[in-house]
Amino acid sequence: MVTLSLSNKRYTYVQKSASEQSLREAIDIHHVNINGSRVTGFARRRGFAFFLVLLASCMYFFLGKDNPVRLLSWICILSGFLVMLQSRKTVKKESVIIMPTFGIQLETQYLSGKIVSRFIPIGKILKPVLVECVTPVTCYWSLSLFLRGEDQLTLVFKELRPPLKMLVPIWKALCAVIGTDQSEMIVEEEHAVSG
Amino acid sequence: MAEPPKLRVLMVSDFFFPNFGGVENHIYYLSQCLLKLGHKVVVMTHAYGNRSGVRYMTGGLKVYYVPWRPFVMQTTFPTVYGTLPIVRTILRREKITVVHGHQAFSTLCHEALMHARTMGYKVVFTDHSLYGFADVGSIHMNKVLQFSLADIDQAICVSHTSKENTVLRSGLSPAKVFMIPNAVDTAMFKPASVRPSTDVITIVVISRLVYRKGADLLVEVIPKVCRLYPNVRFVVGGDGPKHVRLEEMREKHSLQDRVEMLGAVPHSRVRSVLITGHVFLNSSLTEAFCIAILEAASCGLLTVSTRVGGVPEVLPDDMVVLAEPDPDDMVRAIEKAISILPSINPEEMHNRMKKLYSWQDVAKRTEIVYDRALKCSNRNLLERLSRYLSCGAWAGKLFCMVMIVDYLLWRLLQLLQPDEDIEEAPDIFLHHHGEKIN
Repeated sequence: MVTLSLSNKRYTYVQKSASEQSLREAIDIHHVNINGSRVTGFARRRGFAFFLVLLASCMYFFLGKDNPVRLLSWICILSGFLVMLQSRKTVKKESVIIMPTFGIQLETQYLSGKIVSRFIPIGKILKPVLVECVTPVTCYWSLSLFLRGEDQLTLVFKELRPPLKMLVPIWKALCAVIGTDQSEMIVEEEHAVSG
Repeated sequence: MAEPPKLRVLMVSDFFFPNFGGVENHIYYLSQCLLKLGHKVVVMTHAYGNRSGVRYMTGGLKVYYVPWRPFVMQTTFPTVYGTLPIVRTILRREKITVVHGHQAFSTLCHEALMHARTMGYKVVFTDHSLYGFADVGSIHMNKVLQFSLADIDQAICVSHTSKENTVLRSGLSPAKVFMIPNAVDTAMFKPASVRPSTDVITIVVISRLVYRKGADLLVEVIPKVCRLYPNVRFVVGGDGPKHVRLEEMREKHSLQDRVEMLGAVPHSRVRSVLITGHVFLNSSLTEAFCIAILEAASCGLLTVSTRVGGVPEVLPDDMVVLAEPDPDDMVRAIEKAISILPSINPEEMHNRMKKLYSWQDVAKRTEIVYDRALKCSNRNLLERLSRYLSCGAWAGKLFCMVMIVDYLLWRLLQLLQPDEDIEEAPDIFLHHHGEKIN
């Protein structure tokens, strides 16, 4: 059942709660999808790539082994492969599945259908934090996790950069699961990074 | 819930903490006092080593350490247009109304001021140092300053001498330049509870041991004074390239027991060094303002200083003895200081300094400058270009080209990433018990 839904030009955020009879508490699922037009654009390109490969193989086999045609068909095959590779790196959706007292699962779903997931047990999470990341050209908000035994922060959304209004409900849900008081955490973080 | 801030100021400079100096101190104290007056202040500087990203300092002062590599003397590598995207992002996300740049030597400051003007923000510049006119470096620097200040709303200088210097270097109209002196934290710099005995008179010197700060003058003055007054000793704090010359001087005249070299003194320990002395000696060859003598006077020390730059404007005549930057004249000044030492009351000096200088006063005066800047009319691109044309025959045209390209790049950025797409950062107000996010 959809509890919350937010969207802007690039991203759509959907929060779903699934409760099962065997579990005392509901599983919380937060999805961030890349918006429609970009996805269909890539699907179109994938279809186009497939067509190119088909055309190239037809030209190669049926029109004989003339040099220009061969070159053209190789170009078509190569560009088709490049587009296919690109679609493997293009992200369609990233999700956070929160299972209370058990852990959280971070999933990245690519356009090619591949899903990369990582499970983090609840005991390993120290704190979820909202951090402002500054690069030489821009500044954006990201949601990260402090994990036990690791030096670096773990990003919850590795590829996508959803806006703050979408990150805040996820952060609050993570805080609730870990059982830390939100306002106390903000003050602690301020003191930790000041000076 | 706290009421919304009246002004939202972005302080830009290459020089900020953890680097230590006069400009850094000025930006920090001014920002803290402006925060107490209810305004929002954000500081933008370049990353220092690992210190990169967003940091919050006391009072909720937000600092952006932008990961641009510094190249010479802590200034960012000048790319002219490279900083446009990040400056635009910071200005939009913090909803800035006034951009305040510090120090003519800071490339980040000049670039940020240029981009802020292109995007239509109000701009204020503070000059902290005096510069020359004759050498090649100064000529180029002055041309850059002329470009930067051609279209500025208001400027601030720290002394009347500095104002004259800035106006001559940049061709700015004097009516646009305000004079707001620096101040000193009198709560931190208090005299010793028990004044050290005057049987042995201690003269304290705390400065970087470089040519500009008159370290060579010290090498001449110290042996002469030690010979004339057997009951005088020197304490020298600070480090630099001229340290070697001072050590040689100690060896040559066998003054190891009369001249104590402390090495670099962290700012938190400066007061404890000052209160061991009776007289503070400043031998700078050039100084726009000189906060060091303010700190010394606040601690109840009588000051002997070279009459250069803005130094005569800083302290009342009965708290300072001035001399030309010549060893004999300085020795005469030290003699005079020693003779008037018995009439000095450190507590009374400290109380007078409390009334004369305070950062709260500086912040209130700076607020007036910001209000004046906000009242300046908005000018369109063509009107602004005409100001740049007057900078010189060739330079004027070059500056116009630079501004036109900057304008076009800004429009291109707006197409690629519209203004609405830049998320606004929430204001975080730090109160005594927890805080609220707006």
